[in-house]
Amino acid sequence: MATPPFHLRLPATLESVSELLDALEAYAEVAGIPPSISARLALVAEEVTANVAMHAKGATYFELRVTPGPQAMNLMIEDDGPEYDPLARPAPDIEAALDERDVGGLGVHLVKKLTQDARYQREDGLNRLRCSLSIAA
Amino acid sequence: MEITETTEGAKAVAILDGRLDTATAALTETRLLAMLEKGGVIADLSEVRYVSSAGLRVLLKAAKQAKALGASFAVVGLQPPVREVFEISGFDKIIPAFASRAEAASA
Repeated sequence: MATPPFHLRLPATLESVSELLDALEAYAEVAGIPPSISARLALVAEEVTANVAMHAKGATYFELRVTPGPQAMNLMIEDDGPEYDPLARPAPDIEAALDERDVGGLGVHLVKKLTQDARYQREDGLNRLRCSLSIAA
Repeated sequence: MEITETTEGAKAVAILDGRLDTATAALTETRLLAMLEKGGVIADLSEVRYVSSAGLRVLLKAAKQAKALGASFAVVGLQPPVREVFEISGFDKIIPAFASRAEAASA
C-alpha cells in the first residue's frame, strides 16, 4: 500500500504549530511511517513553521505538503509572509564549548542535516521551502 | 508535556513526558531552572520522543545555569530520534548523557 500524502494549511500562529505536529503524529501512525522518520518530519515542520509564526510579520498562513515517493518524502512548506530564505542563515558553531554555545540558527542546521536538497524559492509572492526526507532509516 | 519530580540519590530528577518543542519550551525551562536553584538535576527523557531546537535551547539554558550555580545537569534515556538531534547539534559534547538515572546520580 502506498503511503498517502499529507496537506494542511493553518493560520500562522504558534498554536497552529502544535496543531500541525499533532496532525503529523496522527498521519505518521495511519501511514505506518517509522518513528525515526516521523520525528524528522515533525522536526522539519516545526522548525520552519515556528519560524514563520514567530518572525514573519503579516503572514496569515503556513502550509505543509508531504508527497511520499519510493525513496523519499517530498516536503513543501509555504507561507505568505515577507520574502525570507531560512536556508541563508549561517551555520551555527556546533563545536563551541558550553559557555560559548548559542542556539541561534540551530533549527535550520537541523533541517539541512536531516533532509536532502533543501531549497528555497520566492514564487508568486510566497515563500516556498522544498526538501526531501529519505525514508531509509 | 508533563513533568514529574522525584529524586535519585542526592539529585533531583525531572521526568519529562511529551514533546519538548516550541509549545512546551517555556514551561519546561521554568521548571528545570527552579529545580536547579536547589541543586543538581537529572532530566529523564525516556518518555520524550521528540526534541526540536526550541527544546535544545531549554536544555542548553539549564546546562549553563547549572554551571553558573556550581550544580550538575545531565540527561538520561535519550530515545534514538532525540539522540540523533543531540548529535547533529553537537549537544552530545556539551551536555552529559547517561543510560540510567542511577548512572547519572553516581557520576
